[in-house]
Amino acid sequence: MRGIRLPRFALALPAWAWLVVFFVAPVAMVVYFSFGYKPGIFGTHATDVLSFDRYGEALSPTFFQTFTNTLWVGLAGTALCLLIGLPAAYWMAVKVPPSRRGLLLALVMVPFWTNFLVRTIGWQVILAPEGWLSSLLQGIGLTDGPLDILYTRTAVLIGVVYNYLPLMILPLFVAFDRVGGPLREASKDLGAGRWRTFTRVTLPLARPGVIAGVLLVFIPLMGDYITATVLGGARGNMVGQLVASQFQTAQNWALGSAMAVMLILVIMATVAVGGLIVWLATMPFRLRNRLVLGDEPASAPAGRSGDDGPAAGGAEPVRTEQGVSA
Amino acid sequence: MKQRSWSDVALNVWGVAVLVFLFLPILVIIVSSFNTGRLLVAWDSFGFDAFGAILTKPAIQDAVMVSIQTGLIAALLATLLGTLAGIAMARHPGRWAFWFIGLLLLVSVTPEIVDAVALLPWLVFLGQDLGIGLFNDGIARLVIGHSLFSVAVVSYIVRARLIGLEGQLEEASADLYARPLTTFRRVTLPLAMPAVLAGFLLSFTLSLDNTVIAAFVQVSGTTPWPVYVLSALRSGLRPEIAAVSTIMLLLTLVALALVAVVLRRAGDSATQIARTMTGN
Repeated sequence: MRGIRLPRFALALPAWAWLVVFFVAPVAMVVYFSFGYKPGIFGTHATDVLSFDRYGEALSPTFFQTFTNTLWVGLAGTALCLLIGLPAAYWMAVKVPPSRRGLLLALVMVPFWTNFLVRTIGWQVILAPEGWLSSLLQGIGLTDGPLDILYTRTAVLIGVVYNYLPLMILPLFVAFDRVGGPLREASKDLGAGRWRTFTRVTLPLARPGVIAGVLLVFIPLMGDYITATVLGGARGNMVGQLVASQFQTAQNWALGSAMAVMLILVIMATVAVGGLIVWLATMPFRLRNRLVLGDEPASAPAGRSGDDGPAAGGAEPVRTEQGVSA
Repeated sequence: MKQRSWSDVALNVWGVAVLVFLFLPILVIIVSSFNTGRLLVAWDSFGFDAFGAILTKPAIQDAVMVSIQTGLIAALLATLLGTLAGIAMARHPGRWAFWFIGLLLLVSVTPEIVDAVALLPWLVFLGQDLGIGLFNDGIARLVIGHSLFSVAVVSYIVRARLIGLEGQLEEASADLYARPLTTFRRVTLPLAMPAVLAGFLLSFTLSLDNTVIAAFVQVSGTTPWPVYVLSALRSGLRPEIAAVSTIMLLLTLVALALVAVVLRRAGDSATQIARTMTGN
């Protein structure tokens, strides 16, 4: 080998440096600010006395309601995205002829790459009390007065489900597509009906896609700022707006920073708790489904949570999924 | 043709309904751009007034120009950094890659609003306290803000592409006495090219779309298009905004079609394209 031997990570150094300077450093500074306080009316932050007081303030009843509201929108929005997206992704991956799949995927991706803000404004136009949907509903007699959804939590929920739905459909599509036809046919040949094939073969194998979709929707949704600003008004507040207002209008950087850190902590805690609940709830199901060939290695736990999908599972041939019960 | 079951019919209906749902607000915006009324919400009559009005409003043109300029620079930068990082992760993996992927994950899961409120004081610190003039420049600040997520996306995409293609070609090139730099230029880069181009165009669209970070780090005088729309939200939305959005939608569609064509030429199936584009 000629010349100087560069370290293995040399090519990644520019990106690493860029992200450290413009991501790690500023975020670290915000974490530092969050322990400070707001000195007087004109100051934005001071850090000569450090305390957890701002966190207490961020969780005071005034702001706590916004946190619970955000969590509610986050959980309900993610659940709705899964309920709406799962059948749609299954349809695209399994029922539609392969020649038309590319077109459908492109159709799902177009809204995803249209301006987020403009799409949300589209909903503002649709849901407006003087808009056409309102007139239509009144015209056919479904509602008595003008539509009263805009600037409520319901409007925010519609907005976030709409905005994050493609992020649910795409990973689910990839996961269902990967399961492939032969496995489903084998299941049917072995006497399972379509519902049983779906719940016992297709869905368990598509689990990594479900996990990816739920995370891809839930995490950005919790930090959403635009949707709540455009559709929420005063009644549909989310933490993102709270953080922004502390920096832009209240000029209390210390409190705003504490809220931002709390937001990240809430997201992480919810993901951890949610993962644990799902893992515990599906434990009996997994134990029943697991077919052990040969001796189970003593060190391996009965089931692993997280992302040991079909790809990772393939590395351990002793354990296989059982398609039909004996 | 066998009899279709009720569940197939239900799935068909559901799938089409979801697509309609996804396109509903976009169609509303496109239709609104032909509204001749004063406000976006209230329909008056059909006409091309809004498109004409764009020409008479320099503020709108400036905002769009700032967005396109920022988008190009941010995309170039993110593609350069991300491509190098992606190649390093795919071809020289090690303990470091584990930590680096951790950093990229952190960048992609941090809510935009947190990036935004963190960057604002940081750029003020760099620009005013340390007196580095570059960080007071509007375009530079926007480029920095928009590049963070894009660097992560491009790194994922390039890494995924190269991991899918084993390193034998590079080994063969080295066996044939090509120097490392030649191998890099003549073998690795062409292999990664579809992912690099896809990453560039995705970074560009992500930058055009970025509202939250832009709203915080922008300097008055260089307001990008989404921030202009956000401020118009408070003063009343006019049909011009829908008209510009329609034009930009067309531009995005062209960019997306280009990505799809490039990837398809490289032999990817529809599923692989979807995976590349979502960074899986």
